[in-house]
Amino acid sequence: MSLKNVYVAKTLDEVLNLLNQYGCESKLIAGGTDVIIQLREKEISPKVLVDISNLSEINFIDESEDKITIGACTTFTTIAESSILKDKLKGLVQSAESVGSPQIRNAATIGGNICNASMAADIVPPLLALDAEVLIESKAGKRRILLDHFLMGKGKVDIKPEEIVTAITFNKPKNREALGFGKLGLRKALAIARISTAIYLSLDEENTCRKIRIANGAVGFRGMREKEVENIFIGKQLTEDVINMGIEKLREELNQRLAGRSSAEFKTTAIAGIFKKALLETANNCKE
Amino acid sequence: MKKKGVGIGSTFYGTGYGNGFPDVSRAKAVLKEDGKVAVHVGATEVGQGSKTIMSQMAAEVMSIPLNDIIFICEDTKNMPDSGTAAASRQTYNTGNAIKLACEDLRKKVIENAFKELKLNSSVGLTLKNGEIYLKTLPSKNISLKELALCLLKNKELPLIGEGSFTAQTIEMDEETGQGAPYWPYTFNVYGVIVEVDTETGLIDIIKAVCAQDVGKAINPEMIEGQMDGGFAMGLGYSIYEDLGLKEGKMKNKNFTNYLIPTALDVPELEKFIIEDPESTGPFGAKGIGEPVMLGVAPAVLNAIYDAVGVRITQVPVTPDRLLRALKEERRE
Repeated sequence: MSLKNVYVAKTLDEVLNLLNQYGCESKLIAGGTDVIIQLREKEISPKVLVDISNLSEINFIDESEDKITIGACTTFTTIAESSILKDKLKGLVQSAESVGSPQIRNAATIGGNICNASMAADIVPPLLALDAEVLIESKAGKRRILLDHFLMGKGKVDIKPEEIVTAITFNKPKNREALGFGKLGLRKALAIARISTAIYLSLDEENTCRKIRIANGAVGFRGMREKEVENIFIGKQLTEDVINMGIEKLREELNQRLAGRSSAEFKTTAIAGIFKKALLETANNCKE
Repeated sequence: MKKKGVGIGSTFYGTGYGNGFPDVSRAKAVLKEDGKVAVHVGATEVGQGSKTIMSQMAAEVMSIPLNDIIFICEDTKNMPDSGTAAASRQTYNTGNAIKLACEDLRKKVIENAFKELKLNSSVGLTLKNGEIYLKTLPSKNISLKELALCLLKNKELPLIGEGSFTAQTIEMDEETGQGAPYWPYTFNVYGVIVEVDTETGLIDIIKAVCAQDVGKAINPEMIEGQMDGGFAMGLGYSIYEDLGLKEGKMKNKNFTNYLIPTALDVPELEKFIIEDPESTGPFGAKGIGEPVMLGVAPAVLNAIYDAVGVRITQVPVTPDRLLRALKEERRE
């Protein structure tokens, strides 16, 4: 199949109609930072490209009393500079800032990063730690699904050809709650994550962990929650001993998951420093 | 834990083909009808700045403004062979050839001037600021432009100066290892301060200093540019650039995996140009193209040793290699 048409959509309705008409012969393109490469490498060969980069309907960051919703076509530059997402959600900003280079951040979108489903996708661990939901639309209607269920594997997400991800939504951090992020790239810009980690933490007045959600990137076939590690922390004070126990558990998990891979030894060693730094920063941010 | 270390890497490097291999550069300098001088030379500009500094050398010998030099290179129909832009040899070798060609043209210009000025001989005639004049009676003068017009009328143009320079190197004795395989040598030293993260294996270069022997700086700003570029390449070689060779095959065959430093990875480099003119060099100059990157890796590896006490003997020092080395050190 060779590319016949590129539709530059101006409304979401148009997009839904086109997807309905062309189905699996179509491919959505937003920033194009992944799609263009896939086209060139002939990994995909759609008949129709539906360009949604000008779709202002799904380019927004909204704040309600208890929720934040980010439109799928919002770029990483917009996320990094958002006044809504700073402070308690610093982890989300940091992960957006760590994507590629300024040029890539100006083009690439949060929806694209999720749907491309790279194991190293930068925005995925923070969204998993926020327990975010994905909003999906098609001509037939709307549905919501937890990001954790939406991500199925390397390059695989739970979406039908006639559907589009329109937004991502999550609960706002409450008092003494915060989101932190850490990434190990091999250089300071244009670095694909070798390890990324995100931590959503809720601390009480005694520094005891009420809630914690940990998600890592680039250490599995997709971004993943670390529920076994979370269990170590819940109900305990964040002392040096507890943190070290958590790190040990994290290493065990990675060791099992990465067994047989050449990067296993490096990643199980290096995760300690990245995770600890992110955890301590998050804990501090909870108190502010 | 983050640990700081300081390292120095010092190198000396013989420029040119060396070891007795014929290393020849040729050049032509031609007086044009408008009094400008065309330099024909087979030196290739690969971004190192050869066009600029070689035009400067020609302008200096001919004593005319840089704008009056027409530099013609990279066109084999119009230029003699000056060898490759390799072995850091163009400044020294081709610089010498251009200097010789321009000196030859300068001599011919003066010989023709004394005829035009109807003097007894060329003794005491000199060329300065585009004018040929008698030192003892400066009113006896003719400009290069006027001279070119006279020669044109007499059908004596073009006036051509030629130069050829062969570097002096002697093949090493295979038995004894004795000889003089290179001339000249260029000296260089780098100093770096690194910060090593012992938990992730990441290496951060905090500060870097380079002192480069250049013989004579023909264009100091361009030398600083060469130093900045050489440092960035040396840094990539030290800690980033990994072909990932496995049984002769490259694993990292694109720039997603074969990492070169970005602007954020390269710290400011403090630069010192050391001038000690080389008697056989054009105006004392020597080549620095390769030398500016050689000292970086030894300095970085020494700094890592200073920081964490581990001798790394393989480049690039990627985080996984460094962590493995630290682990082995702890076991011993």
